Amino acid sequence: MRARAAAAAALASVGILAAGWQAGTHVVEAASVTTGAAGTTGASGTTGASGASGTGASGSGPGTSGSTSGSAGSSSGSQGSASSGALKNGTFTGAAEETRFGEVQVQIVVAGGKVTDVKALHLTDAERRSAMISATAAPILRSEVLQAQSANVDTVSGATVTSGAYLTSLQAALDAARA
Amino acid sequence: MTTALRSSHRPSRPPGHGPGAALAETLRDRGRRRLFRQDALTVLAWASGAAAVALYLADGGAAQFHSLSPALTAIGVVAGLIGTDLVLAMLLLAARITLIDRAIGHDRAMAVHGKLGKPALYLILAHMVFLLLGYGVADGLNPIAEGVSMWVNLPDMWLAFISIVLFLAVVVTSLVAVRRRFPYEFWYVVHLLTYAAVLTALPHQFSVGGLFADGQWQRWYWIAFYVLVLAALLRYRIWAPLALTFRHQLTVRRVVPAGDGAVNVELTGLRLEELAGSGGRFFIWRFLAPGLWWHHHPFSLSADPAAGRLRITVRNLGKGSASLMAVKPGTKVSVSGPYGLFGHAARTRPGLVLVGSGIGITPLRAILERAEFSPGHATVILRASTPGTLYLRDEIAELCRLRGATLYELVGHRARSGNAWLPRHQSGLGLTDYVGDLVDSDLYVCGPTAWAESVLADAKASGLSGEQLHRERFDW
Repeated sequence: MRARAAAAAALASVGILAAGWQAGTHVVEAASVTTGAAGTTGASGTTGASGASGTGASGSGPGTSGSTSGSAGSSSGSQGSASSGALKNGTFTGAAEETRFGEVQVQIVVAGGKVTDVKALHLTDAERRSAMISATAAPILRSEVLQAQSANVDTVSGATVTSGAYLTSLQAALDAARA
Repeated sequence: MTTALRSSHRPSRPPGHGPGAALAETLRDRGRRRLFRQDALTVLAWASGAAAVALYLADGGAAQFHSLSPALTAIGVVAGLIGTDLVLAMLLLAARITLIDRAIGHDRAMAVHGKLGKPALYLILAHMVFLLLGYGVADGLNPIAEGVSMWVNLPDMWLAFISIVLFLAVVVTSLVAVRRRFPYEFWYVVHLLTYAAVLTALPHQFSVGGLFADGQWQRWYWIAFYVLVLAALLRYRIWAPLALTFRHQLTVRRVVPAGDGAVNVELTGLRLEELAGSGGRFFIWRFLAPGLWWHHHPFSLSADPAAGRLRITVRNLGKGSASLMAVKPGTKVSVSGPYGLFGHAARTRPGLVLVGSGIGITPLRAILERAEFSPGHATVILRASTPGTLYLRDEIAELCRLRGATLYELVGHRARSGNAWLPRHQSGLGLTDYVGDLVDSDLYVCGPTAWAESVLADAKASGLSGEQLHRERFDW
């Protein structure tokens, strides 16, 4: 390759790569803001009930919701056994959780004080592969949740982000049912 | 073995001014423009590779290296992007695009095409391996189980797996060692599978990958690149030959012997004067007879068309050429071209040196017929091991006499020492001994690969630069 061609080619390539890199950092910054918010709350389950909205039978519940900002199990209510007994009948939708692979939102159906169904309203689907992961993980999470009657279940390996967001949204729905 | 050293008209060299100087300037400008085009193409090629990586970086790809699985995935994606970019570049190089042909010549374009084959394959294989590893780590599966899962669960992935097998077949059959073991036809058919490989690789790029998913601007760049390549192939590989063939309606008139194992194929047709002046550039011919039609042959005209007739000279080099020697009068002929830089357009200096061996002599005749040079500034060196393989010798001698070129005929077995391109009894000599103004000349070489290499080495040792050297290859 001639020197002139080599120099021009190197310059052009470096320029194009730099432009791509620069454009990329904006994308990453934008993404890390949203995943940061969703991600930290995922595993530990210390979610506030902020985004939850109860759409069930008894809409806004009895006023004394107290301090629900604590962890999932210890809702300040005084109803005997910790979690399951406190649930009101109805359908409750959890908060939508943003991840870099897309939005996750779940809805629970409570009947007779128990969670009888978990529906995924939205799952990670930014790319086909994410959708595939969601499709694998969602049924596993659903059956685990129905068995444990809480959001305190193992995440599905290979679907950490989806599981985290799924359980976070679920926790919010549970909190709403308990409120 | 005799050496006929016939120095016909050899007038004293004119001084630096006059028509020679004007020609020198024209040729220098022409050469400069061509070099600019070459450099521009080089830059474009590298830039397209960089752009493929930049597409991924712009999607936040640089942030994927924080842990193992995304890092493996990112390497896999980038390998696939560059590999695909190379495959598309290879298709463009093989598309016989006029712009590329005029800048670097068909033979060099094909040489680059050949060189890119293995890197492209390695990158595509790396694309598969790293993505299987990366996704496998994420899913807690071994790469093979991951592959099965992708084949089953993801759209279009089974096509992509077929594509990689096809690519592998195409490159392996093109390796020199493998290619020699099989007939040309086998290699050719397998090579056509490239198109199948490219097409089967296409869907998964848009349906599985996130980079080219619906709504991404990168998707449009990638589609545009594919459309460009498709358009170039249709325009130059399909439309151009069809149009030229219908325009000229070539028919074989007769086939006459032309020295040891060679024949002149004479063709008649319409508007043949338009094909004149190709000056050594070659055309691609197909003889439309049963068993022959799907072979294409690169031959230059061995004489400028005249009186509604065209001529090519063919030697029995392979099975393909052999069957041509029995081609019947009346056979229709498809043609495309002219291609290559082995002609006037590539000239950069006022002097002209034509060196040919065996059947490689024939394209030189056409160059000699039309080349611009002042009498005394052209030298023709013909090399053969026996006088019978000095093809077109009489015609070339006559042209040299008419146009004032010096002719040397070097006959005999090759030298064991010194310049290997010379006959034994001339060993110790070199190009400078035959050509006075060698450093101010363009050198055209046509003949067997090893022999031509030897001529070029001699020329470089005598101080000629790359732009002065022109070589017609037979081996692509």
